[in-house]
Amino acid sequence: MKMNWLELFPEPIRSLLEQLPSSLLDRLEEIRIREGRPLEINAEGEHHFLTLGGKLTHRVEESYKPGGVETHRLLDRISNHSLYTMEEELRKGFITIPGGHRIGLAGRTVLSGGKVEHLRDISGFNVRIAREICGAADAILPHLIDKKEKRMKHTLILSPPQHGKTTLIRDIARQISSGSYGDPTVKGSGMKVGIIDERSEIAGSLRGVPSFDVGPRTDVMDGCPKAEGMMMMIRSMSPEVVIVDEVGRPEDVEAIIEALHAGISVIATAHGSSVDELSQRPAMAALMTNQLFERYIILNRSAGKPTYRILDRQQRSIQISLPHQKGVDAYG
Amino acid sequence: MVKLLGMLIIVLAGTLAGFNKARQFERRPQQIRELILVMQRLETEISYGFTPLPEALNKMGSQIREPLKSFFISAANDMNSSKGLTAQESIQQALSAHWKRTSMKDAEREVLHQLSFTLGTSDRQDQIKHIALAAQQLKHEEVAAREELDKYGRLSKNLGLLVGILVVILIF
Repeated sequence: MKMNWLELFPEPIRSLLEQLPSSLLDRLEEIRIREGRPLEINAEGEHHFLTLGGKLTHRVEESYKPGGVETHRLLDRISNHSLYTMEEELRKGFITIPGGHRIGLAGRTVLSGGKVEHLRDISGFNVRIAREICGAADAILPHLIDKKEKRMKHTLILSPPQHGKTTLIRDIARQISSGSYGDPTVKGSGMKVGIIDERSEIAGSLRGVPSFDVGPRTDVMDGCPKAEGMMMMIRSMSPEVVIVDEVGRPEDVEAIIEALHAGISVIATAHGSSVDELSQRPAMAALMTNQLFERYIILNRSAGKPTYRILDRQQRSIQISLPHQKGVDAYG
Repeated sequence: MVKLLGMLIIVLAGTLAGFNKARQFERRPQQIRELILVMQRLETEISYGFTPLPEALNKMGSQIREPLKSFFISAANDMNSSKGLTAQESIQQALSAHWKRTSMKDAEREVLHQLSFTLGTSDRQDQIKHIALAAQQLKHEEVAAREELDKYGRLSKNLGLLVGILVVILIF
């Protein structure tokens, strides 16, 4: 698995990365390559540049700067020498590669009718290394289950980017789909889970098949707009729980309300650091004022230590956490 | 007696050289035609099949005759290998390894060389344009190659025989 994403990089970037101590290599979250600017790696919220000698530095002058040849090679490899098969991905600005890793791209956009049609002159890459952390949701799950009715509570997970939202909901999906709810008193089979994975982050699907373990009873709608995907799932796949990442647009909210009324539990994530902040956003306010969510989980990561807070429907704190033991993953 | 044998050998060598040259003239338009057909198929693979380039080249290679067969297959293998070659490098390597075995000339080689810079590195429309352009240039070369065949094909056969005879006359 480790070799998998390292093989992607052209020399000398690859050997620079291979020289890194394995303790750091295992914790790497992002590798950023910008043409003509320093090679940057991110681990646990800290960033470093790399020198040609393989040393970490913060000084721009000393750092190794990949040039046009390297970025060209990288692009050639991540697209399997066939950029034309990636048109949809380029429109969205990222490519998912085997293993569920995602590569964000920046370049010059080509517009057609005011919409982004294509990305060209790609010079910025953000390789986000996905790590599956089984058990990331252990501590949180018992608070999300309604033992009497044997259903999941409607939950909204909040945090700024890069704080582990996606890892958390991926593990929630896996656990409830396989029937382990992090609570030995809850027994029973898994639930039918539907994931709407607009950005292919949760399941890391490659040609429709999830790269990550998302559980045996989980269906994934890959690359589908959230609002439409939720409706499609509800109509056709009869899920008991719908999991959706990064809601925020008015149509997402409408679809969530629709799902709630259809008796389906919704577990969603959103960018934000507090419930108050979220209620300021016009689209989300409707969800907040009606108190539709029964649980709010607020993730935070200060100084590399992930913490969480669980609030109930009235936004009263139920539990303020200890750092999770298991840590969080590459992207949130 | 030995003299007669020597004469025969020289005349035969000249004739064979002439035939060989003539065969080059005959094969060139055939191979260019094959290459044009490959371009058209590649265009279809890219525009309708979304087939990744290594796979597409492999497919092309398996459908045509030598020596172009090994050219396409070796380019595809280089792309798939872990050496980290780009599409451009793979094609150019295959060109230098296999081009000598074809009967085609530098003009056709230049067309493929130019195409290697863009193949796989842009969106579908752009790819199609470049492939169509390459096919167009190949068609020009094909016409030229056929003209050359008409002009020099028979000529080189006869010329081989005549040169053989000339050498025999000069020597003896």
